[in-house]
Amino acid sequence: MEPATAVVNELAGLPAKLGEFTQVVKARVPIAQTPKELVWTLNKAKLWRYVPVLPAEKRHSVPLIMVFAIMNRPYILDLRPGHSFVEFMLQKGYDLYLLDWGEPGPEDTNLKFDDYVLDYMTRAIRKMKSVSGSEEFSMLGWCIGAILATAYAALRPDDGLKNLILLTAPLDFTDRKGITFAHWVDERFFDVDKVLDAFGNMPGELIDYGAKALKPVENYVLNYLKLWDNFDNPQVVEAWQAMNTWVTDNIPLAGGAFRQLIVDLYRQNRLIHNQWLLRGELVYLKNIRANLLTVIAEGDHITPPCQSRSIMNLVSSTDKELFDIPGGHIGIMAGSAAHRSTWPHIEGWLDPRSK
Amino acid sequence: MSDQQATNGKDYDPVGAFREMRDNYLDAWAKTMVEAVNTDAYAKATGMLLDTYLSASSPFREAVEKAMLQTLQQLSMPSRADFVSLAERVTHIEMKLDDLDAGLERIEKLLAKPIIVNAATAAPAKRSKKKGAK
Repeated sequence: MEPATAVVNELAGLPAKLGEFTQVVKARVPIAQTPKELVWTLNKAKLWRYVPVLPAEKRHSVPLIMVFAIMNRPYILDLRPGHSFVEFMLQKGYDLYLLDWGEPGPEDTNLKFDDYVLDYMTRAIRKMKSVSGSEEFSMLGWCIGAILATAYAALRPDDGLKNLILLTAPLDFTDRKGITFAHWVDERFFDVDKVLDAFGNMPGELIDYGAKALKPVENYVLNYLKLWDNFDNPQVVEAWQAMNTWVTDNIPLAGGAFRQLIVDLYRQNRLIHNQWLLRGELVYLKNIRANLLTVIAEGDHITPPCQSRSIMNLVSSTDKELFDIPGGHIGIMAGSAAHRSTWPHIEGWLDPRSK
Repeated sequence: MSDQQATNGKDYDPVGAFREMRDNYLDAWAKTMVEAVNTDAYAKATGMLLDTYLSASSPFREAVEKAMLQTLQQLSMPSRADFVSLAERVTHIEMKLDDLDAGLERIEKLLAKPIIVNAATAAPAKRSKKKGAK
């Protein structure tokens, strides 16, 4: 085909492609399809147990509970069939639980980390232990979920926590120049009380804007160009739609917890300095004795690597590993390479420690 | 060109050159923007924007809330604050029930366990009974 003809053909097909493109972008695709059963609820929180796929004698005796961030849907861990961390772990024989925080409403504006850790997590874990029949358990915390998991591990070290996995954990806020969010929420520029007076909870749309604005060109331009350029590739389109469905499904962050995140952590860095009090109890990191795996995404703009390293020297755990992996905040667990890199590493670390 | 295509085994991409140029430009732009958003100037600008919006919308928001509250009171209907208070109480009740449920489960498990009689403690009791009988 002559170049001129090819260009004309390309341009002629443009309106039709644009129409289809818009439909694909707007479409919501089925996600989180792995079968699960509800075993516990409290307010909006739910504890799900995924239906095991291996017989009991082939399963690990130590169950694993996954704790995700409080301002995103947790089904990123079970994005779509064939590309799901949940599916992968079930096939490896884990008794798998997911703590889904649900969507906070106006009645939850006062919910704080204190409540999430000491009221919700303690009860959910108690239920998980009862259902699984195991006094020991493993916990995986991702993003803000890793803050919750760390706080729990420090406040309840004798509760049976055997293995702690922290993914992209924003725990240390010392390097303020390296953390873009720390710039934005600096007390000189951001009035947290004014925002919460207006909204009650921190709106999901604002959180979404914040996350995307860290890499504006990637998120607002390149993301769509990637779809446009690969529009003829069904695998890419399917993966893009699943991820877009999750990204655009935003939920608010409870006002009390948001204020603590900004004031106690981003501004005062209390957690890493062993000065963070939850309901009068000190979150003392030295209390953490569980085996520890910390996973860092080297290209993470939301939780830069500097936020997750220092925890390694502050805990009492003797069995601990820091695992650096190329990729972004979400990409390391939900990207196309996750099943070849992050998932096998986590599973390989957890397997001998789950007997 | 057609021969070249056949040799390479690839279709001719009419916008390939444009795409390459576009990608180079966007990569450079992306790097610049990542640096730009990580500055005090950007933080100050977005902070001011948000502050202005909140200050401007505050009187309207308060007026709407006040009017809504009055209307609900006149209609003898519960306000948002009433529902919030109720929801908090329900959550507290849920927690109490959850604790009760866990306590019952524990008792059930204890009851289900077989009772093991300790021979060492049982024997002296038997002997003391005999002594008493004498």
